[in-house]
Amino acid sequence: MSTEPKKDSSIVEEIKVPWYGYVALLFAIVFFSGLFAKSKGWITVFDFNTINGTYGVMKDAAKATFQGQGGTGARDGFLFALGLVPAVMLALGIVEVVDHLGGLKAGQKLLTPILRPLLGIPGIAGLALVTSLQSTDAGAGMTKMLRETEAITEKEKTVFCAFQFSAGGTITNYLSSGAALFSFLTVPIILPLAVIVVMKFFGANVMRLYLNRVEKGDAVNE
Amino acid sequence: MNKKTLADVFVEGARKGWNLGVANILPNVLMAFVLIQMLKVTGVLTLMGKFFGPVMGVFGLPGEAITVLMGAWLSMGGGVGVAASLYSAKALNMTHVTIVLPAIILMGAQVQYMGRLLGTAGVQTRYYPMLFGISIMNALIAMLIMRFFA
Repeated sequence: MSTEPKKDSSIVEEIKVPWYGYVALLFAIVFFSGLFAKSKGWITVFDFNTINGTYGVMKDAAKATFQGQGGTGARDGFLFALGLVPAVMLALGIVEVVDHLGGLKAGQKLLTPILRPLLGIPGIAGLALVTSLQSTDAGAGMTKMLRETEAITEKEKTVFCAFQFSAGGTITNYLSSGAALFSFLTVPIILPLAVIVVMKFFGANVMRLYLNRVEKGDAVNE
Repeated sequence: MNKKTLADVFVEGARKGWNLGVANILPNVLMAFVLIQMLKVTGVLTLMGKFFGPVMGVFGLPGEAITVLMGAWLSMGGGVGVAASLYSAKALNMTHVTIVLPAIILMGAQVQYMGRLLGTAGVQTRYYPMLFGISIMNALIAMLIMRFFA
Protein backbone atom coordinates (compact mmCIF):
# COMPACT_ATOMS: atom_id res chain seq x y z
CA MET A 1 0.00 0.00 0.00
CA SER A 2 1.46 3.34 -0.92
CA THR A 3 1.25 6.12 1.56
CA GLU A 4 0.41 8.80 -0.97
CA PRO A 5 -3.33 8.31 -1.43
CA LYS A 6 -3.83 7.68 2.27
CA LYS A 7 -2.19 10.99 3.08
CA ASP A 8 -4.38 12.77 0.57
CA SER A 9 -7.62 11.39 1.91
CA SER A 10 -6.63 12.18 5.47
CA ILE A 11 -6.00 15.77 4.50
CA VAL A 12 -9.43 15.99 2.95
CA GLU A 13 -11.15 14.28 5.84
CA GLU A 14 -9.41 16.03 8.67
CA ILE A 15 -10.77 19.49 7.96
CA LYS A 16 -13.85 19.45 10.12
CA VAL A 17 -15.08 22.88 11.04
CA PRO A 18 -17.53 23.33 13.88
CA TRP A 19 -20.39 25.77 13.20
CA TYR A 20 -18.87 28.40 15.43
CA GLY A 21 -15.76 28.33 13.27
CA TYR A 22 -17.75 30.00 10.51
CA VAL A 23 -19.29 32.44 12.94
CA ALA A 24 -15.79 33.34 14.15
CA LEU A 25 -14.56 33.85 10.58
CA LEU A 26 -17.54 36.01 9.77
CA PHE A 27 -16.94 37.99 12.93
CA ALA A 28 -13.26 38.49 12.06
CA ILE A 29 -14.10 39.72 8.58
CA VAL A 30 -16.70 42.14 9.90
CA PHE A 31 -14.51 43.23 12.82
CA PHE A 32 -11.51 44.12 10.69
CA SER A 33 -13.50 45.36 7.67
CA GLY A 34 -14.48 48.70 9.11
CA LEU A 35 -18.04 47.99 7.96
CA PHE A 36 -19.51 49.59 11.06
CA ALA A 37 -16.92 52.34 11.45
CA LYS A 38 -19.45 55.03 10.66
CA SER A 39 -22.30 53.39 12.56
CA LYS A 40 -23.66 54.55 15.86
CA GLY A 41 -24.75 52.68 18.97
CA TRP A 42 -24.18 49.09 20.09
CA ILE A 43 -23.34 47.76 16.63
CA THR A 44 -19.98 49.55 16.83
CA VAL A 45 -18.85 46.77 19.17
CA PHE A 46 -18.09 44.94 15.90
CA ASP A 47 -15.72 47.65 14.73
CA PHE A 48 -11.99 47.25 15.30
CA ASN A 49 -11.30 50.96 15.48
CA THR A 50 -14.01 51.58 18.07
CA ILE A 51 -12.65 48.90 20.35
CA ASN A 52 -9.06 49.96 19.70
CA GLY A 53 -10.21 53.37 20.86
CA THR A 54 -8.24 56.60 20.93
CA TYR A 55 -5.22 57.95 22.70
CA GLY A 56 -6.09 60.78 25.03
CA VAL A 57 -5.17 64.32 24.00
CA MET A 58 -3.23 66.85 26.02
CA LYS A 59 -5.88 69.42 26.74
CA ASP A 60 -5.10 70.57 30.21
CA ALA A 61 -1.49 71.49 30.81
CA ALA A 62 -1.76 70.35 34.44
CA LYS A 63 -2.80 66.86 33.36
CA ALA A 64 -0.71 66.69 30.20
CA THR A 65 0.89 63.30 30.79
CA PHE A 66 1.66 61.16 27.77
CA GLN A 67 -1.59 59.28 28.41
CA GLY A 68 -3.53 62.44 27.64
CA GLN A 69 -7.17 62.89 28.53
CA GLY A 70 -10.35 61.32 27.25
CA GLY A 71 -8.80 58.28 25.58
CA THR A 72 -10.76 55.03 25.19
CA GLY A 73 -10.38 51.32 24.53
CA ALA A 74 -7.23 49.29 23.97
CA ARG A 75 -5.08 52.34 23.19
CA ASP A 76 -6.03 54.15 26.37
CA GLY A 77 -5.49 50.93 28.34
CA PHE A 78 -2.08 50.41 26.79
CA LEU A 79 -0.80 53.87 27.66
CA PHE A 80 -2.33 53.61 31.10
CA ALA A 81 -0.63 50.24 31.75
CA LEU A 82 2.65 51.47 30.24
CA GLY A 83 2.47 54.38 32.66
CA LEU A 84 2.29 51.89 35.52
CA VAL A 85 5.45 50.03 34.70
CA PRO A 86 7.87 52.47 36.37
CA ALA A 87 5.95 52.26 39.66
CA VAL A 88 6.05 48.46 39.55
CA MET A 89 9.77 48.42 38.68
CA LEU A 90 10.52 50.87 41.46
CA ALA A 91 8.42 49.02 44.03
CA LEU A 92 9.84 45.59 43.24
CA GLY A 93 13.35 47.03 43.10
CA ILE A 94 12.92 48.37 46.63
CA VAL A 95 11.37 45.12 47.88
CA GLU A 96 14.34 43.23 46.44
CA VAL A 97 16.79 45.51 48.26
CA VAL A 98 14.86 45.23 51.54
CA ASP A 99 14.82 41.46 51.17
CA HIS A 100 18.55 41.43 50.38
CA LEU A 101 19.31 43.43 53.52
CA GLY A 102 17.34 40.98 55.64
CA GLY A 103 14.24 43.12 56.11
CA LEU A 104 11.88 40.27 55.41
CA LYS A 105 13.77 37.98 57.78
CA ALA A 106 13.26 40.63 60.43
CA GLY A 107 9.55 40.59 59.69
CA GLN A 108 9.53 36.84 59.99
CA LYS A 109 11.28 36.96 63.35
CA LEU A 110 8.80 39.49 64.69
CA LEU A 111 5.87 37.41 63.46
CA THR A 112 7.00 34.02 64.71
CA PRO A 113 5.96 34.34 68.38
CA ILE A 114 2.58 35.83 67.56
CA LEU A 115 1.46 33.34 64.93
CA ARG A 116 -0.04 30.97 67.53
CA PRO A 117 -2.33 33.58 69.07
CA LEU A 118 -3.09 35.29 65.74
CA LEU A 119 -3.79 32.29 63.55
CA GLY A 120 -3.45 29.24 65.77
CA ILE A 121 -0.51 27.98 63.75
CA PRO A 122 3.02 27.30 65.01
CA GLY A 123 5.81 29.87 64.66
CA ILE A 124 7.66 27.59 62.28
CA ALA A 125 5.18 28.68 59.61
CA GLY A 126 6.55 32.25 59.84
CA LEU A 127 8.84 31.95 56.83
CA ALA A 128 6.04 30.47 54.71
CA LEU A 129 3.75 33.29 55.81
CA VAL A 130 6.21 36.05 54.92
CA THR A 131 6.99 34.28 51.64
CA SER A 132 3.29 33.98 50.81
CA LEU A 133 2.99 37.76 51.07
CA GLN A 134 5.50 38.01 48.24
CA SER A 135 4.58 35.06 46.07
CA THR A 136 1.44 32.95 46.15
CA ASP A 137 3.18 30.03 44.46
CA ALA A 138 6.22 30.01 46.72
CA GLY A 139 3.96 30.25 49.78
CA ALA A 140 1.82 27.36 48.54
CA GLY A 141 4.90 25.21 47.96
CA MET A 142 6.25 25.91 51.44
CA THR A 143 2.88 25.19 53.04
CA LYS A 144 2.81 21.83 51.31
CA MET A 145 6.30 21.09 52.68
CA LEU A 146 5.26 22.08 56.21
CA ARG A 147 2.38 19.62 56.08
CA GLU A 148 4.47 16.84 54.55
CA THR A 149 7.05 17.14 57.32
CA GLU A 150 4.20 17.19 59.87
CA ALA A 151 5.29 20.60 61.11
CA ILE A 152 1.63 21.63 60.95
CA THR A 153 -1.59 19.62 61.25
CA GLU A 154 -4.18 19.31 58.50
CA LYS A 155 -6.42 21.72 60.37
CA GLU A 156 -3.63 24.27 60.75
CA LYS A 157 -2.84 23.94 57.07
CA THR A 158 -6.45 24.67 56.14
CA VAL A 159 -6.53 27.78 58.35
CA PHE A 160 -3.17 28.88 56.96
CA CYS A 161 -4.47 28.46 53.40
CA ALA A 162 -7.54 30.57 54.25
CA PHE A 163 -5.07 33.29 55.24
CA GLN A 164 -3.09 32.93 52.00
CA PHE A 165 -6.07 32.51 49.66
CA SER A 166 -7.56 35.95 50.27
CA ALA A 167 -5.23 38.57 48.78
CA GLY A 168 -2.60 36.02 47.75
CA GLY A 169 0.89 37.44 47.14
CA THR A 170 -0.34 40.52 49.00
CA ILE A 171 2.70 42.79 48.88
CA THR A 172 3.73 42.03 45.32
CA ASN A 173 0.18 42.32 44.00
CA TYR A 174 -0.58 45.47 45.94
CA LEU A 175 2.60 47.16 44.75
CA SER A 176 2.24 45.97 41.16
CA SER A 177 -1.40 45.64 40.10
CA GLY A 178 -2.70 47.82 42.92
CA ALA A 179 -0.17 50.55 42.13
CA ALA A 180 -2.26 51.34 39.08
CA LEU A 181 -4.79 53.00 41.34
CA PHE A 182 -2.44 54.72 43.78
CA SER A 183 -2.71 58.10 42.06
CA PHE A 184 -6.52 58.02 42.44
CA LEU A 185 -6.57 57.30 46.18
CA THR A 186 -8.01 59.76 48.68
CA VAL A 187 -6.12 58.09 51.56
CA PRO A 188 -2.43 57.26 52.21
CA ILE A 189 -1.24 54.21 50.24
CA ILE A 190 -0.61 52.23 53.41
CA LEU A 191 -4.22 52.39 54.62
CA PRO A 192 -5.86 50.06 52.09
CA LEU A 193 -2.94 47.66 52.60
CA ALA A 194 -3.53 47.69 56.36
CA VAL A 195 -7.22 46.92 55.80
CA ILE A 196 -6.23 44.05 53.51
CA VAL A 197 -3.87 42.52 56.09
CA VAL A 198 -6.42 42.87 58.91
CA MET A 199 -9.08 41.18 56.76
CA LYS A 200 -6.69 38.34 55.89
CA PHE A 201 -6.28 37.57 59.58
CA PHE A 202 -10.01 38.01 60.16
CA GLY A 203 -10.93 35.58 57.37
CA ALA A 204 -8.43 32.97 58.53
CA ASN A 205 -9.92 33.15 62.02
CA VAL A 206 -13.42 32.58 60.64
CA MET A 207 -12.04 29.38 59.13
CA ARG A 208 -10.28 28.54 62.41
CA LEU A 209 -13.48 29.07 64.38
CA TYR A 210 -15.45 26.96 61.92
CA LEU A 211 -12.99 24.07 62.10
CA ASN A 212 -12.82 24.22 65.90
CA ARG A 213 -16.58 24.33 66.33
CA VAL A 214 -17.81 22.07 63.57
CA GLU A 215 -14.99 19.58 63.31
CA LYS A 216 -13.71 18.70 66.74
CA GLY A 217 -10.17 17.43 67.17
CA ASP A 218 -8.02 16.93 64.12
CA ALA A 219 -10.71 14.93 62.36
CA VAL A 220 -9.72 16.82 59.25
CA ASN A 221 -6.95 14.28 58.86
CA GLU A 222 -8.24 12.13 56.00
CA MET B 1 26.25 38.39 51.93
CA ASN B 2 27.63 37.98 48.44
CA LYS B 3 29.37 40.51 46.25
CA LYS B 4 26.25 41.98 44.68
CA THR B 5 25.97 45.70 45.19
CA LEU B 6 22.66 47.19 46.25
CA ALA B 7 22.37 48.73 42.81
CA ASP B 8 22.59 45.24 41.28
CA VAL B 9 19.95 43.98 43.66
CA PHE B 10 17.67 46.89 42.85
CA VAL B 11 18.09 46.34 39.13
CA GLU B 12 17.25 42.67 39.60
CA GLY B 13 14.02 43.64 41.35
CA ALA B 14 13.27 46.33 38.78
CA ARG B 15 13.71 43.72 36.04
CA LYS B 16 11.19 41.49 37.80
CA GLY B 17 8.90 44.53 37.84
CA TRP B 18 9.39 45.08 34.12
CA ASN B 19 8.65 41.44 33.31
CA LEU B 20 5.59 41.45 35.54
CA GLY B 21 4.45 44.73 34.06
CA VAL B 22 4.87 43.77 30.43
CA ALA B 23 3.95 40.08 30.59
CA ASN B 24 1.18 40.29 33.16
CA ILE B 25 -0.20 43.69 34.04
CA LEU B 26 -0.20 45.26 30.59
CA PRO B 27 -2.16 42.48 28.82
CA ASN B 28 -4.59 42.16 31.73
CA VAL B 29 -5.23 45.88 31.92
CA LEU B 30 -5.60 46.15 28.15
CA MET B 31 -8.10 43.27 28.24
CA ALA B 32 -10.07 45.10 30.93
CA PHE B 33 -10.13 48.35 28.93
CA VAL B 34 -11.32 46.45 25.84
CA LEU B 35 -14.02 44.72 27.86
CA ILE B 36 -15.26 48.00 29.32
CA GLN B 37 -15.20 49.61 25.87
CA MET B 38 -17.37 46.76 24.56
CA LEU B 39 -19.79 47.05 27.49
CA LYS B 40 -19.89 50.80 26.95
CA VAL B 41 -20.63 50.91 23.24
CA THR B 42 -23.28 48.18 23.57
CA GLY B 43 -24.97 50.02 26.42
CA VAL B 44 -24.61 46.99 28.70
CA LEU B 45 -22.50 48.99 31.15
CA THR B 46 -25.33 51.47 31.70
CA LEU B 47 -27.76 48.59 32.22
CA MET B 48 -25.44 46.93 34.72
CA GLY B 49 -25.03 50.27 36.45
CA LYS B 50 -28.80 50.54 36.90
CA PHE B 51 -29.34 46.90 37.83
CA PHE B 52 -26.56 46.64 40.42
CA GLY B 53 -26.96 50.20 41.64
CA PRO B 54 -28.98 49.33 44.77
CA VAL B 55 -26.62 46.51 45.85
CA MET B 56 -23.41 48.41 45.24
CA GLY B 57 -24.95 51.49 46.87
CA VAL B 58 -24.59 49.72 50.22
CA PHE B 59 -20.83 50.05 49.78
CA GLY B 60 -21.02 53.62 48.57
CA LEU B 61 -20.36 52.58 44.98
CA PRO B 62 -22.26 52.98 41.70
CA GLY B 63 -23.69 49.84 40.07
CA GLU B 64 -20.99 49.79 37.40
CA ALA B 65 -18.46 48.90 40.12
CA ILE B 66 -19.75 45.30 40.06
CA THR B 67 -17.65 44.86 36.90
CA VAL B 68 -14.54 45.71 38.93
CA LEU B 69 -15.24 42.85 41.35
CA MET B 70 -16.04 40.44 38.52
CA GLY B 71 -12.81 41.37 36.76
CA ALA B 72 -10.83 41.06 39.99
CA TRP B 73 -12.12 37.55 40.62
CA LEU B 74 -10.43 36.44 37.39
CA SER B 75 -7.23 38.44 37.85
CA MET B 76 -6.15 41.35 40.05
CA GLY B 77 -4.71 43.15 37.04
CA GLY B 78 -8.08 42.76 35.34
CA GLY B 79 -9.94 44.23 38.31
CA VAL B 80 -7.53 47.13 38.54
CA GLY B 81 -7.80 47.69 34.79
CA VAL B 82 -11.60 47.75 34.93
CA ALA B 83 -11.46 50.25 37.81
CA ALA B 84 -9.00 52.48 35.96
CA SER B 85 -11.06 52.28 32.79
CA LEU B 86 -14.26 53.20 34.64
CA TYR B 87 -12.41 56.08 36.27
CA SER B 88 -11.23 57.20 32.86
CA ALA B 89 -14.86 56.99 31.64
CA LYS B 90 -15.94 59.01 34.71
CA ALA B 91 -18.18 56.17 35.96
CA LEU B 92 -16.05 55.98 39.14
CA ASN B 93 -14.52 58.85 41.09
CA MET B 94 -11.52 58.85 43.43
CA THR B 95 -13.62 57.98 46.48
CA HIS B 96 -15.05 54.95 44.67
CA VAL B 97 -11.60 53.76 43.61
CA THR B 98 -10.35 54.10 47.18
CA ILE B 99 -13.26 52.01 48.50
CA VAL B 100 -12.87 49.26 45.95
CA LEU B 101 -9.05 48.83 45.93
CA PRO B 102 -8.73 46.52 48.99
CA ALA B 103 -11.63 44.42 47.69
CA ILE B 104 -9.86 43.91 44.35
CA ILE B 105 -6.86 42.44 46.17
CA LEU B 106 -8.82 40.48 48.80
CA MET B 107 -11.02 38.59 46.33
CA GLY B 108 -8.59 38.90 43.44
CA ALA B 109 -7.45 36.09 41.15
CA GLN B 110 -9.36 33.44 43.09
CA VAL B 111 -9.96 31.44 39.95
CA GLN B 112 -6.18 31.20 39.43
CA TYR B 113 -5.30 30.67 43.06
CA MET B 114 -7.67 27.73 43.35
CA GLY B 115 -5.12 25.71 41.41
CA ARG B 116 -1.95 27.59 42.28
CA LEU B 117 -2.53 27.71 46.04
CA LEU B 118 -5.29 25.35 47.18
CA GLY B 119 -4.31 22.69 44.67
CA THR B 120 -0.59 22.92 45.38
CA ALA B 121 -1.03 22.89 49.16
CA GLY B 122 -3.47 20.01 48.86
CA VAL B 123 -6.42 21.59 50.66
CA GLN B 124 -9.40 19.23 50.74
CA THR B 125 -11.90 20.24 48.07
CA ARG B 126 -14.83 20.21 50.51
CA TYR B 127 -13.38 23.40 52.02
CA TYR B 128 -13.21 25.23 48.69
CA PRO B 129 -16.68 26.84 48.90
CA MET B 130 -15.94 28.03 52.42
CA LEU B 131 -12.57 29.48 51.33
CA PHE B 132 -14.12 31.29 48.36
CA GLY B 133 -16.87 32.56 50.64
CA ILE B 134 -14.39 33.88 53.21
CA SER B 135 -12.44 35.80 50.55
CA ILE B 136 -15.58 37.40 49.15
CA MET B 137 -16.77 38.23 52.67
CA ASN B 138 -13.35 39.78 53.40
CA ALA B 139 -13.74 41.94 50.30
CA LEU B 140 -17.26 43.08 51.19
CA ILE B 141 -16.32 43.96 54.78
CA ALA B 142 -13.21 45.79 53.54
CA MET B 143 -15.41 47.99 51.32
CA LEU B 144 -17.63 48.84 54.28
CA ILE B 145 -14.54 49.76 56.32
CA MET B 146 -13.10 51.84 53.47
CA ARG B 147 -16.32 53.87 53.26
CA PHE B 148 -15.31 55.53 56.52
CA PHE B 149 -11.86 56.51 55.29
CA ALA B 150 -12.42 57.30 51.62
